[in-house]
Amino acid sequence: MKQNGFHIILAIFLCTFSAYAQLDSIQQLPEVMLTDSKLVHFSKGFKLEKLNDSIVERNASSLTETLRYNSTIYFKENGFGMASSPSFRGTNAAQTAVIWNGVNINSVFTGQTDFNTISPLNYNEISIRSGGGGVQYGSGAVGGSIHLNNTYSFKKIDTTQVGLNYGSFSTVGGNASTTQIWGDHYLNVGMDFISSENDYDYVGKNQKNNHGEFLRFAAKVNEARRLKRGVATWNSEYTYNDRNFSGSLNTIGKDSYKDISTRNLWQLQQRVGAFDTKASVAHLFEQYRYFPDSEKSLYDEGRANTFIGSFQSEVLLQKKFRINGKAEYSYINAEGDNVGKNSRKTLAAVLLMNHKISDDFSYGINIRKEFLNDFDNPFLFSVDGKWNVSKNYALRLNGSKNYRVPTFNDLFWYAGGNHNLQPETSYQMELGQEFSLGKLKADLAAYYISSEDLIKWIPGNSGIWEPVNLNNTRNYGAEVVVNYSVKLINQHTLSFSANYSYTKAEDLEKEKQLIYVPFHKATGTLQYNFKTLLVYFQGLYNGETYTTTDNSYAVKGYKIFNLGSEYTFSSLPQITFGGRLKNVFNVYYENVAYRPMPSRNIQLFLKFNI
Amino acid sequence: MMKKLLYFTFATSLLISCSNDDDPQTDPIPPAAYEKGILVTNEGPFNNGSGNITFVSEDYATVAQNIYRTVNGKELGNIVQSMGFQEENAYIVVSNSAKIMIANRYTFERVDSIKTGLVNPRYFMGDSGNKGYVTDWGDPNDNSDDYVAVLDLRTNTVTTTIPVAFGPERMVSYNNKIYVAHQGAYGQNNLVSVISGNSLESTITVGDVPNSMIISGNSLYVLCGGNPTYTGNETAGLLVKIDLLTAQVSQIFTFQTTQHPTNLTMDGANLFYSLNGKVYKLDTASISLPGIDIISGIFYALQAKDGKLYATDADDFASKGSLLIYDLSTNQQIQDFQTGIVPGGIYFND
Repeated sequence: MKQNGFHIILAIFLCTFSAYAQLDSIQQLPEVMLTDSKLVHFSKGFKLEKLNDSIVERNASSLTETLRYNSTIYFKENGFGMASSPSFRGTNAAQTAVIWNGVNINSVFTGQTDFNTISPLNYNEISIRSGGGGVQYGSGAVGGSIHLNNTYSFKKIDTTQVGLNYGSFSTVGGNASTTQIWGDHYLNVGMDFISSENDYDYVGKNQKNNHGEFLRFAAKVNEARRLKRGVATWNSEYTYNDRNFSGSLNTIGKDSYKDISTRNLWQLQQRVGAFDTKASVAHLFEQYRYFPDSEKSLYDEGRANTFIGSFQSEVLLQKKFRINGKAEYSYINAEGDNVGKNSRKTLAAVLLMNHKISDDFSYGINIRKEFLNDFDNPFLFSVDGKWNVSKNYALRLNGSKNYRVPTFNDLFWYAGGNHNLQPETSYQMELGQEFSLGKLKADLAAYYISSEDLIKWIPGNSGIWEPVNLNNTRNYGAEVVVNYSVKLINQHTLSFSANYSYTKAEDLEKEKQLIYVPFHKATGTLQYNFKTLLVYFQGLYNGETYTTTDNSYAVKGYKIFNLGSEYTFSSLPQITFGGRLKNVFNVYYENVAYRPMPSRNIQLFLKFNI
Repeated sequence: MMKKLLYFTFATSLLISCSNDDDPQTDPIPPAAYEKGILVTNEGPFNNGSGNITFVSEDYATVAQNIYRTVNGKELGNIVQSMGFQEENAYIVVSNSAKIMIANRYTFERVDSIKTGLVNPRYFMGDSGNKGYVTDWGDPNDNSDDYVAVLDLRTNTVTTTIPVAFGPERMVSYNNKIYVAHQGAYGQNNLVSVISGNSLESTITVGDVPNSMIISGNSLYVLCGGNPTYTGNETAGLLVKIDLLTAQVSQIFTFQTTQHPTNLTMDGANLFYSLNGKVYKLDTASISLPGIDIISGIFYALQAKDGKLYATDADDFASKGSLLIYDLSTNQQIQDFQTGIVPGGIYFND
């Protein structure tokens, strides 16, 4: 019993969110604990999707790839492997929070995460939480948040995985990780890298993607130790990216970008009487170097250290009321050639409450207030409820106020940075419906987001671009998720999953769709399993996106299909090999105007489970 | 239900893919269609697109967008920075694509291109004979590699380069000499270089950030914006008058420290320029700053000619801009035409 108060059991997760379970069955590991338990307990009225391991592994070249083919999130990618920013429900790139084990890791400088710098293999679990999460996750969780979680358990395990990848465009990758559990100790160590010449053909253009080489290296250490009345955990990761930025149809790529980040999180969980307490200390470090000319040694640099200390306490009253109070102090210290030396302190108080009225109905009320903030201290709230109407049908409802604070670039950029900026604020509502009929699961969500004071860089009087709180937008849309699987004769299984989203994101002054937000996006996977053989066909439809604010120019929509297969030998060690043919029909497509994406290519992998 | 959804998705995707027509092609226009009129160079979206050229006929009856592509079926390239003329030809400087596209200035049929020897070309100036000059920043982050490329206009090649101080920008020519304003690329500079033949003859120190020049008689007027406030060393804008016979500064007119004028142009005896959302008029016979404000508007480019003021509005720099024409006798707007994205240069085809 002693662990119950501290840990989230995967089983709960499975029950609550079974409607979202994707194709492949999730490994039934008992007692797997999340380092960020808030995600599950206080998000019941929110759409939460978990990407399972096999889905992550087959799209492992970057987090962009993982999410592009398996979610409704749209990515604006400056050519394959280059800078990649998300638009979640039509919100801007800084309005998707990336949460690593409960810690917001969006860049201090840009307010965003470049999804091509994240290795999807570094985590046990990747979840997508749609809708406002500002109360729990702070600035930037407006459109939604992506959760990168490392889990732990204390059931004896000794497992090691080694993987090798090889593919077109001189792409080479490798990964190795081991998990050792003995007694009260959990240890997980891993690394992976990918490197690519990335010199793909521009289909039908007689041109190549020059100067687009990239290298990513990531390493992780996750440790947990069971104590007498609690658990101490340490999560740590390091990533290094070295990329040349490719040219476009009519420009030559010259610049390059190198970035390093380290993340460390120490947590001590203790049960004190009826209270589950957690004390956390986190340190985040990010450094980038931008080389205007990759052949030269001249660069612009930025470095930021973020220190976060927090304390939270949670109690479950009468098995019905779950209340969590949290105080979090963060100190950011950043220094850069373009932003000078600056710091920011924030103290946040968060109160989360979930009330389970019955097995079928629960609601939550969450509030956050910040202090010491450089801005008008925002007061954020969210309200959510979930009602299991019947065995086959459930309703979700949530509403929230969220915000995004100006980044250090917005505030201090030389030249143009504007010290008088205020946070972007947004109000939103969502209604979700979950259907389940045997193996058929469907989720329908409709949302409305109204945002004010969006920060936009515009040319000022002196010809210098400067950011101002200018735009007001209104986003609304609908999302559909469908999963279905059917057992054919013997051990043959056929399964299907699909996402579709309609997104209207409107600049209220211009009454035009925001740039780089497609109205339509759809993904789908059809998969066939026979024993340990698996074949799948994956498709992506990305609708037209406008590239100018008056909607006078657009990037055409495109449909891309991938075909993949893998086979596992049930030998010892277990060996899996497989491959994926991407862009099967070799179509020409651009994700960002004038920046073609890869021609048909193949990726092969070999994996050992020891 | 699933079937329906699939069908719906499929149907929508069909609909969407059929409705792509972002930039309708205009019908081919007969040769010499772009004689007698106004040409506007549109920089285009930075990094991810192509610039183009808008034509407006003298009688305002014809407006043609994207004329180079209409005629040649090809885009110009990324960042159409500026355009210069020599004889029958237009030399279109495409900075980010590091090239100059050459077309007949009246038909816009492609003649040739110059792609070797240019790094970050800015402006073209034709000299008498077969010589042309192009200012080039080199690597904009390197202040020591800036140059003026000398072109042989018969072979359309760079024959030699003349190293100059950093940030060479606009040029004017007088008496077989080329005067180059060093606005200062990403930084600030305060020089005018004098080039004669293939060599740098002298440099004249003017105010900070010389951004536009006009020749009137034997005088060169150089409008200097001054260092902007963010530099931490804000300096006042200056209007510097240079006597071209002696190559000496003859007069300096000083703005207030916080005033940073741009876009000097001239019509008759009057100078015009932009400052803080207004266009000012100065009589060269008796210059007294800032002059009279005659028109309101934030303009990206400004040209005065024959009693009219031509101005471009780049809006938010991420949508189509416009060309506005004012009658200088009444200071009233008389025309308004849509252009391409970021209209940065106004030229006249007589």
